[in-house]
Amino acid sequence: MASVPHIAVIGGGSTGIGIARDLSMRGVDVTLVEQGNLTHGTTGRMHGLLHSGGRYAVADQKSATECIEENRVLRDIASHCVEMTGGLFVKRPEDTEEYFQKKLEGCKECGIPAEVVSREEARQMEPHLAKDIDKAITVPDGAIDPFRLVVANAASAKEHGARIETHTKVTDLLVEDDEVVGIEVEHASGAGKHVHGVEGGTEEIYADYVVNATGAWAGRIGDMAGVDIEVRPSKGVMTIMNIRQVDTVINRCKPKGDADIVVPHETTAILGTTDEEVDDPEDYPEKQWEVDHMIDTLSELVPMLEDARTIRSFWGVRPLYEPPNVGSDDPTDITRDYFLLDHDERDNLQGMTSIVGGKFTTYRMMGEEISDHVCEKFGIDAECRTADVPLPGSEDFSVLRDYMDEFGLRSPIGRRSVERLGSRADEVLKTDGPNPTVCECEGVTRAEVQDAIDQSGSDLNAVRIRTRSSMGNCQGGFCCHRMANELYGEYDELTTREAWDELLQERWKGQRHALWGQQLSQAMLNYAMHAATQNRDNDPADGTPIDFSAFDNGQAVTTGDDAGATDVATDGGQHGD
Amino acid sequence: MSDAESNIDPADGTDFQPTAPNTGEEFEPVDVFPDSDDFDLRPGSDSCYKCSTCDTNCPVAEVDDEFPGPKFQGPEQWRLKQADGEHTIDDSVMDCSNCLRCDSACPSGVPLGQMHNTARGEYVSEELNTFSIEYIRNRILANYRTSAWLASKFPRTSSFMMNFGPVRWMMDKVLKVPKERDFPEFATETFQEWWAKQGGATGSRERAREVRERRGEPVDADKKVAYFHGCYSNYNTPEVAKALVNVYEYFGYEVVVPEQKCSGTPMFANGMLADARRHAEVNVSSMSDLVDQGYDAVASCTSCSLALRQEYPELFDIDGIEEVSDNTFESVEYLRIHEDLKGEIEAAEVDGELAAEFGYHAPCHARNQGLERQAVELFGDLEGAEMEDVGDSCSGISGTYGWKSEKYEKSMKIAEDMFEHMEEGTESEVGMTECPTCAMQMEHGTGYDIRHPLELLEAALIEEN
Repeated sequence: MASVPHIAVIGGGSTGIGIARDLSMRGVDVTLVEQGNLTHGTTGRMHGLLHSGGRYAVADQKSATECIEENRVLRDIASHCVEMTGGLFVKRPEDTEEYFQKKLEGCKECGIPAEVVSREEARQMEPHLAKDIDKAITVPDGAIDPFRLVVANAASAKEHGARIETHTKVTDLLVEDDEVVGIEVEHASGAGKHVHGVEGGTEEIYADYVVNATGAWAGRIGDMAGVDIEVRPSKGVMTIMNIRQVDTVINRCKPKGDADIVVPHETTAILGTTDEEVDDPEDYPEKQWEVDHMIDTLSELVPMLEDARTIRSFWGVRPLYEPPNVGSDDPTDITRDYFLLDHDERDNLQGMTSIVGGKFTTYRMMGEEISDHVCEKFGIDAECRTADVPLPGSEDFSVLRDYMDEFGLRSPIGRRSVERLGSRADEVLKTDGPNPTVCECEGVTRAEVQDAIDQSGSDLNAVRIRTRSSMGNCQGGFCCHRMANELYGEYDELTTREAWDELLQERWKGQRHALWGQQLSQAMLNYAMHAATQNRDNDPADGTPIDFSAFDNGQAVTTGDDAGATDVATDGGQHGD
Repeated sequence: MSDAESNIDPADGTDFQPTAPNTGEEFEPVDVFPDSDDFDLRPGSDSCYKCSTCDTNCPVAEVDDEFPGPKFQGPEQWRLKQADGEHTIDDSVMDCSNCLRCDSACPSGVPLGQMHNTARGEYVSEELNTFSIEYIRNRILANYRTSAWLASKFPRTSSFMMNFGPVRWMMDKVLKVPKERDFPEFATETFQEWWAKQGGATGSRERAREVRERRGEPVDADKKVAYFHGCYSNYNTPEVAKALVNVYEYFGYEVVVPEQKCSGTPMFANGMLADARRHAEVNVSSMSDLVDQGYDAVASCTSCSLALRQEYPELFDIDGIEEVSDNTFESVEYLRIHEDLKGEIEAAEVDGELAAEFGYHAPCHARNQGLERQAVELFGDLEGAEMEDVGDSCSGISGTYGWKSEKYEKSMKIAEDMFEHMEEGTESEVGMTECPTCAMQMEHGTGYDIRHPLELLEAALIEEN
């Protein structure tokens, strides 16, 4: 084929973005569209575990083997997104010895380094583990930041010429003679960086091939071309604790079950999770008992969780897929493996393949496989390089630096910033201007926020996922307005207000499920502060522009007995108001 | 949208204590980590909702724009801390004066004092070069007891030498101890020497029994206290310690003066936790034996009483430490609880040099124990004396803090309000406070003579009789 093919990828989660990076590195022309911001769907709603494969070592050894392979790759190419915490499979007295041995064997069979440690050794590693545990198996689990990983993949894809459009929803598939020839999309704002308040409009994007990487939403895209994709979305709840009660991933060593994992994630610990099939990936009940049940159950492993502060809870939907002839009743029985559905072979519809199922840890492998598939169709024999070339930010770097001297930052703030930015630290943090801390909970400075705005436009939620600003214990109570302030100047008042509102709404969404104890105090303080200083209990000024000059002069009123004099109070209001 | 109905058991709801770190009964950092340098205080951050009350109460942040303040030093830094062993504590922790205003100001029970002390200990043991002048100077200042012990062997020579111009100039240049300050004089007879001459505990018991008989109380009444005098009233102001003994014996108490070392306050403030622990072990051991025998511990220095009551159990896991903490009191507070001090004062009168208008400054560490209004309320009814509260500012010296050249200016700036109120608010040039270093600062800034409440109490109750 003479010209370079143009591939449209639908879905800006880990899978889609992995495909976009892979294809663009092979020299293919790629356009990726995502209905929200990057990680808007399931990727942004996961517990941040970099699987060692240990979890699947008994029931699903194919997945387990893939996990350990990719675990090693990601430690290498995405080092600034990964924290190698290590993991433990903890056996309590009521858990069976038989399963413990199976787990150990399974790990060995899959090539997952695993060692048995005694109760004392385990509690030395993690002092807050319950005193009555039996023993544990160590595995190379880790923590990974899905936001950072996806953003870095997107940056790499862009460097290789890909076009990435966020806030761009697919409204239809363009089908001609049983062949998908492109997609019709609706932009929430103009093309390019997202800018609030800008007319978007629709666009028809013609492509030589379309890849549907929309996970739990895959069925909807299929419907647009009349093909049936039986994704079985399954919801799971995750609760974020204010601090890390553990610095190692803690798994319960028993066959499938709810609420069996604690993942240390940045400054927090994430508790997971449940598994329940839902009909609609966007509309499903979020129940308080799911959170309570999870905290109760995990307290059997880490007792202090019972009384510790939670900062929010969120639900994600797994894009599980099961070949039509299997028919599992329980979603926990559905395989975690991924499937490549070529609609030509399957439904006699050319020009499109869907990828469904799978796990975050193996996103790159999935990207490689589908990219191979696409390249084969177009006779391109470029090698996949995504396993060898580090992501932007993960080139050689060290977090051990003199932060005060180099960046003028206090030690923990500098350390956290450099960990987030990786090899981009110098480029972002060395600024001439003042660099105050914008988000105190997570140690995010103005320079980092400005860098994120440069990347993502006026979308403060996109700034949030890039920087962690507003993701700490005050949940944006003290920094949302500062983040908005960073937008102002480059963006006008209305754009800024809209972005600010959206950020506050998003922050509130997850906190609704954590309103007791300390987080309730926090929410009340935030409310009082925002109400008193930003009029947020009433009618925040987000409609029409405010004429601030009207406040300056007050109102001139002529009084009866002293004609010509004005009766204006010193605060600018009118006497007697 | 959620239909999250709160299913929280109302009974559970009552467990929540808004002013206590809500980390659960299972969590005791002191038990989990035997070595104080390894405390994991991250859970303490759970109680912080960022209100910034601590920052607005911090006297250092008020005068030093570079200082990030207690919210950063405490809950934020601990929450951002990483367990990988390579995380370093920010050097700004050395600018904290350990006044502990933040600790008592926090409406939510964040253990700020514990966080600062632990972070500082970690910074000093891991970041500070033990051959640096800063370390050596701080170690000398923190171990004031050792210097004072030595100086008390030759009190007159020491008092002269320490304030001898060329010596001070050298100390400023080499050790960074500000030449502006005057070293306190050393007493020619320490309190301990005097106490031995009075017959020690045996003498006190006899005198107490006589008093009880005279007061019509049972001769065997269970009135006995163990006096923690601290270093300063032993070596520098024995008149305060003597006043304590006289006042307590006046009410029929037997006083014992157990074996004791430094309370540890200057060591906490300089991050010398190993030194502090060594001293604390001696103090806790001798004090807890006496507590077991029914004694209560009293201290005349408010920083000493705070150390025993609050900082010890926060930082160390020593046998008997909780019992000592629960049974330690500030000396006047103790009498206000157990005796009709108010009635006695209303009936009394002072004349002579203590018939004055005192500019009273409440030490920060007294505030931490809820005692900031005690002297003003108590002596308000005393005929002949007047009390003028000189405001709620910190005196700025914070023990050894103001004794460092690089902190001297800051220390004086913090004290500006206090100096001004002393000079404008009082006629007689005399001040009052419970804390020996606050007294140094008050004297340094105004030239006033500074007295301890126990001295006035002694003058009111005893000397006129």
